[in-house]
Formats: sequence, structure tokens, C-alpha cells
Amino acid sequence: MKYLEDIILKLGAVDRRIIFLLIGLAVLIPLLTPISLPVRETPTTVKFYEGIDSIPKNSKVLVSFDYGPSTRPEIHPMNVGVLRHMLRNGHKIYISCLWPDGIYMALDALEEITDEVNPDNQSTFNIKEYEDYVLLGYRPGAEAVIKGLASDLRKVYTVDAKGRFIDDIEMMDEIKNLNDFAYIYSGSAGYPGTFEWVKYGGDPTGVPMSSGTTSVQVNEVIPYVQTGQLIGLLAGMPGAAEYEKLIASPGIAIQGMAAQSFAHIVIVIFIVFGNLAFFIKQRRDRKY
Amino acid sequence: MLLKRYIPIGIVAFFGALTLSAWFIDNETIETFANDDATQFFDIIAAFAVFLGALNLLKLQFIKVLKQQSGWQYSAVAIASFFFAFIIGFFIRGAYFVGEEVYFSQGAAEEAILALGSSEQIVPVDWGAHVQTDGSLFQWMFKYIFSPLSATMFALLAFFVASASFRAFRARNLEASLLLVAGIIIMLGRVPVGSLISSWVIMYIIAFSVGFGVNAYTRNRNMALGWVLGSFGLITGLGFTMGWPVDQPAIFYLPALQEWIYLVPNLAGSRAILIGIGLGIVATSLRYIFGLEKSYLGE
Amino acid sequence: MNNKYQVYAGGIVGILLLTLALSSLPDSLNFFREEKSAMFAFTLTVIMIMLYEVRLAKNSSEKTFLRTIPGLKAVEEAVGRSTEMGRPILYVPGIMDMNEVETVAGVVVLGHVANMTAQYETELDVPVARAIVMQSARQVAKEAYMTQGRPEMYNEDMVHYVTDDQFAYAAAVNGIMQRDEPAACLYMGKFFAESLLFAETGNSIGAIQIAGTGSQTQIPFFVTACDYTLMGEEFFAASAYLSEEPELIAGITAQDIIKVLLIGFIMLSIISRAFFDLGLTDFNLITWLNL
Repeated sequence: MKYLEDIILKLGAVDRRIIFLLIGLAVLIPLLTPISLPVRETPTTVKFYEGIDSIPKNSKVLVSFDYGPSTRPEIHPMNVGVLRHMLRNGHKIYISCLWPDGIYMALDALEEITDEVNPDNQSTFNIKEYEDYVLLGYRPGAEAVIKGLASDLRKVYTVDAKGRFIDDIEMMDEIKNLNDFAYIYSGSAGYPGTFEWVKYGGDPTGVPMSSGTTSVQVNEVIPYVQTGQLIGLLAGMPGAAEYEKLIASPGIAIQGMAAQSFAHIVIVIFIVFGNLAFFIKQRRDRKY
Repeated sequence: MLLKRYIPIGIVAFFGALTLSAWFIDNETIETFANDDATQFFDIIAAFAVFLGALNLLKLQFIKVLKQQSGWQYSAVAIASFFFAFIIGFFIRGAYFVGEEVYFSQGAAEEAILALGSSEQIVPVDWGAHVQTDGSLFQWMFKYIFSPLSATMFALLAFFVASASFRAFRARNLEASLLLVAGIIIMLGRVPVGSLISSWVIMYIIAFSVGFGVNAYTRNRNMALGWVLGSFGLITGLGFTMGWPVDQPAIFYLPALQEWIYLVPNLAGSRAILIGIGLGIVATSLRYIFGLEKSYLGE
Repeated sequence: MNNKYQVYAGGIVGILLLTLALSSLPDSLNFFREEKSAMFAFTLTVIMIMLYEVRLAKNSSEKTFLRTIPGLKAVEEAVGRSTEMGRPILYVPGIMDMNEVETVAGVVVLGHVANMTAQYETELDVPVARAIVMQSARQVAKEAYMTQGRPEMYNEDMVHYVTDDQFAYAAAVNGIMQRDEPAACLYMGKFFAESLLFAETGNSIGAIQIAGTGSQTQIPFFVTACDYTLMGEEFFAASAYLSEEPELIAGITAQDIIKVLLIGFIMLSIISRAFFDLGLTDFNLITWLNL
């Protein structure tokens, strides 16, 4: 028993580099040898999915890429999934970016959609710029951009990401401001993002909106879901995985869930051993 | 005194009051100022101020390199990276279209035309669009240098969360124990592996843990053993009766429990903290507007 | 004391009457947004309470009781520790710009810390992520050193710009921590995901760490990894607490009074909503106030 207690005490004082190594392995191994784990949808994700499905077919939707490469693993699968879902329902997509990195995330997402092929080796979506989507691009100003979009889109965007005049784009003819969109979606990793879209975009205009956020932000954003200002929510990578399951397009989020699961298990095991060591040390100190 | 104290305070008071009143006044000019112009003023000032920051950065790094101070090699990398990004952002187009293909330079585009025997024209991308064009040199820098570095720094969080949790989650007192238990429930309940853990397993764990508590409280091992065996028997009987459903009773099913923790106690606590923060921001902002707080001027 | 609350009661009645009058203006004169009446009344109430408390504090000789905030008490201890160990203090005023109230609060606290470092002759290092913050922080630090009579100790490069990018800034600050090994690390401002990177690195070098932020999502990380954390309101009260100026402390008293009013209003709303949901009445306070 004393021998076991000594081992637990040693584990409780383990060098953090051992923890780092084990976490690294816990994440790496499931990524290299994919392990399938069942994904269970949560009500917020189901609400999000149903919210998009309820948009009248062939509507105009605004999708905002408000994240960068650091939060790409969490938000990118959501945004790609949303693009897929929107395109399947025949919607026209207008892409804006409040982050300077967002434009590159948008380009990558569009490339992924364009390169996707069905079992017959045909392009699944066959999307064409200026027919299926317009890439408006990045504009600095954070909430000022959203306020501008809410009043007059052409105040903020005179040209798109490729430098083409907005007035020369047929898809933009009927778009004056946010009120001309049927839905707003923001894939957001922080500021500017969900809050700004709700405060200055969705709320003042009454256009239905939702968002995908990092896990850390969910706490802050959940009140908006409760009040109905956001129709559902994609909460971090688990939310992205649930959404991929709902739209029947398994991707990197579902693959990543095994890695995240094992990492969490390793952390919990360390916490348990840490506490056991703490109690044993307390008891021994009391004896003396 | 006038220039250093009263005029700045006056400016803060005027613009603060104007922006605050814009929320309540139905006047297009004031609304436009508060919603668009004020933020744009700030963005323009911040954009020009970046030059000051960049010059300061370069000055310090150059001094380190020239004086060969400790770590000067990193400063050399910093200076080289700065000028690399600066030049390809401002002076090199980096995107020349030949049909659908993009080349970094005019020369590369011409070579490609010769190699392919194509009759396509070289179309240089517009200035401005060159940083947002797919396949441009700037995008190459972003994709293969900046993105991996950014993602690496963010990935450090995974390791740091593990070491921080290991160090900090100790059941020192009641509050720390609650934090610990809630943390474990959320960590496991949030991921697919949590849905694989049957609620019956949780019930057995709870019964076993309570057994320790009984032993600590009564100092009677027989009583503790009796409790553990009794509760195990009860749980087993209940399980056989109900057919061992994985997610029932829901109160012990980790995903359901974590959702409840998120949506009820966590949300309540978050809202309370948010209200406090909001009040703090209101009070602090009013202190600045009314000139009560002048420390930001250096007083 | 009783007079004060009578003044507030009278003031609130006056504010409600004013709001009613503004809402009732004829269309030709109507410049007031009626749908924002509730917020207008609340804002004026907050202003009234704050200004009156400041006036009372100016005329009073009584010291207002402020509960001990361990994090703020520890600031001087941290500066003293750094002086004894002969190591610098690292101060991070957040990663956002001066348009965020938290950043302004962080720069204000920097002034107080700079006062202490000037007094104790301790080295201060302030890497910033925004150029405007750099200018403001320099001004504040310079004034602090001048006030303490140590202008020769001030060097404008103690406040230096690093980069705007979040994780590049985090990498730079972590590098400074690893190389310079400050004895105390103070994080006061608005933070995002990089908060844990700072806190864990600071922990690994054995520095005493004091954090203060209103970023709700980052508070748990700071609480876990730092020695002291100022959460939300405590951070905004820091300037008042450290300066001990009666006028600033009056602001905190005003906050407390407003909080009591808010709690009362929340209770009233809950009762109103409960009656509405039970079908006992058609009146819903929240809808009526357009909130």
C-alpha cells in the first residue's frame, strides 16, 4: 500500500514536460490512425441546422469569415459545412470578412468546395463566382463595417475582393443593405465577431442570424441563443462535428473528436492522480 | 496647463457625451457621426500610429543587432521578416494570371507561356487585390509562413491547459471540489467519449466515492463497506429492472449533465459577472467623460 | 445618509418625468427615441448617483470603506519582490487598443505601478500590441517617474511596440519572459486566447503573477494560473483603490448603489414575468419597457 502511495505521490509531482508529451501523443495518435467515435447532436446544433433549413430556398445569405489560422481547426469545418448546406439549398452566398485573415480562410473554404467531387468524379457543387457566390472581401473597421452594411452596403464595399466594381456584379443588383439578406451567419473567433453581428447586424435589422464560435466563447454567446437573437449555435469543434453529422458530410471536425476525447481523458487522469497525491500528502503531513 | 490638461479633458467630455447621446437622439448627423465617423476617425489614427510602432520595433531590433546583444540573431530574423512582408505587400504584385493559372512574377508567367506554347495574355492583378488573390505571393506567405506559426502558438494552449489543470484542480476546499467535479463533467461530457460512458458507471463511481466519505466521517470501515455494498446492490437491481439504458437516469448521464451545467449554473454565473463587468465599464466610462479620472493623461 | 437616498428618490422621479416629457413631444419637435426611454432613464439615474456621490465625497472627511482586494494589495508586494531579486517587472496592458475601456483601465493601473517602480528603482518592461497604447502608456509612465522625482530613470523604450497580431505578440512576450525572467508579471487589460500562454509561461519562470481583466472568458484561465486575479469590477476599481482618491472611490460607491437598484429591478421583472406566464395579467414589464 505504501509502495502504491509512493507511486501516486511521484505521479502527482510529475514534470510538466511528461504531461506535454502524453498530451501530444493523445492528440497525434488518433489523428494518424483515425478512430471513429459516435457523435451526439446537442439541441443548440440541431436548432442551428433547422434554422438554416428553414430559410426559403434560393435566398440570399451573408456568410462572414471572422477567424484566422489559429482558430481554423474549430471554425473552418463549420464554415465549410455552412457553405455546403447553403449551396445544397440553392442559396446565393455573399462572403464578407471582418478579420484580415478571414479572406484567406474564405478562399480556402471556396477551394475546398470547388474541389469536392462526387463518386462519379464530377464536381459536387460546380460553383461559379458571381453566379453562386460573391467574395466581398475584408474591410477594416470591425463594428463600423457591420453598421455600414446595415445602412448601405455600397458605403463599405465599392469593389469586391478581386477589385471588380460592386455595381458591375449582377448578383449585387438587389442588395442594398443587410435587410436584403434572408440570413446572416458569422464564423467567429473573437473580436470582431458574433457580438458585433448581433448588436449591429441581426438585432437592429431583424434579419435571422446565427453563429459558430470557439468553445471558449460559448459561455458568452449562450445568452443570445436563449433570447433567440441567435438561432442555435455551433459550439467549438464538438459543434462542428455535430453539424458535419447532421449535414451528412463527415470531415475534419469529426476526425478531430477522437483526438480531443483522448486529450480530455489524459487530462482527467492526471487531475485524478494529482488529487490522490494531494490527499495522500495531506494525510502523511497530518500524521507527522 | 490648458493644452495638456483642459483641452484633452474637454475633447474627451465632448465626444463622450456626443456619442452617448447619439444613442437617444433621433438625428441623422449625430447618428452618422457616432455609428460611422467616430469609429473611422479612430481607425485612421490607429492606421497612421502603426508607423510609430513599426519604427520603434525596428529601432530596438537594429540596436540589438548593431550592439550584438544577447539574442541578436533573433532580432536579425525579425528585421528580415519585417522587410520581406513589407516589400511583397507594397512593392511586389506577386500575382500574374495566365488564363486560370497564377504566377508570382512576370518572368515566371512569360516562361510558362513559352513552355506551354500558349497564346494567353499575361494579366497582372490589380494593386490592392494582389494581397487577397488566391495563389498570389502574399497569400503564399500567409499560407506557408504566417498560418503555421499562428496555429503553432494556438496549439500550445492544449499543452498549457493540461499543465494548468493538473496544477490547479485540487480539492482543497468545497469550492475547489465543486470546480474540480464540474470541470471533469464538462471535459468528458463535451466529447464523444462522454456519451459512451453509461450513467450506471457514474452511479457506481458516486456510490464508491460516498463510501470514502462515510469512512472518513464515521471512522468505521464496516459501515463504509456496508454502504458501498448496499448501494452497489441497489444500483445493480435498478439497472437490471430498467434494462441498463446508457443515457438513463439522465441526471447521471455526462452529456446531459454537462448541458445542464452549461445552461443553468454556468449561465447564471456568467450573466452575473457580465452585469458586474458592464457596470464597471459604465462607471469607468462616465469617470472619463466627466473628467473625474485623468490618469490616462498622465496625471 | 437618509438625505442622500431622499435626493436619489427625488432625482429618479424627476428623471422619469423628464423622460415622459421628452416622449410626449410633438412630432415636429421630436428628437428623442421613445423606444430607448427605459435606457435613457437608467443612464441619467446612473449619472445622477455618480455625480452626487462624488460631490458628497469631496465634502466629507470620512473615509469610505473598501473591502480588501488581495490582488491589488499584492501589487506593491510584487514590486518589492522584484526589487529584492534585482529582476524586472513585466507589465502587459492587454492586446486591444485604446478604444476599449479595459485597455484604458490597464494603462491607468500602469501609472500606479510605474509610481512604485520609480520609488523602488525597479526596472519596468511594458511590451504593447498597439501603437496608440504605446504612446499613452509612455506618457503615463513618464509622468509617474517625473512625479517621483526620478526623470533620469525613465527611458521611453521601457514601453515598446511589438506587433498587432495576437499570437505573434504572445510569442514575443513569452520570449521576453523566458529571456529576462521578470520576478513579477502583471496582466491588466483586455485579453483573448493568449492569456493562458502568458500565465503558464510566467508560472514556469517562477514569477509572481497578478492579472486583471473584464474579459469574462479569460478570467477562469487567469484564476487557474495566476497568484492573484482581479475579476471584472475589481479590475475597474483598481485605479480608485490604488489612488485612494475620495472622488474615484465615490464612483465605486455609486456602482454599488446602482447594483442594488438593478437587483431590485431584476426581482420586479421576475415577478412580473411570472404573473404574465401564469396568465394572471397581460402586463409584462420587460416588453413594456422595450428591453
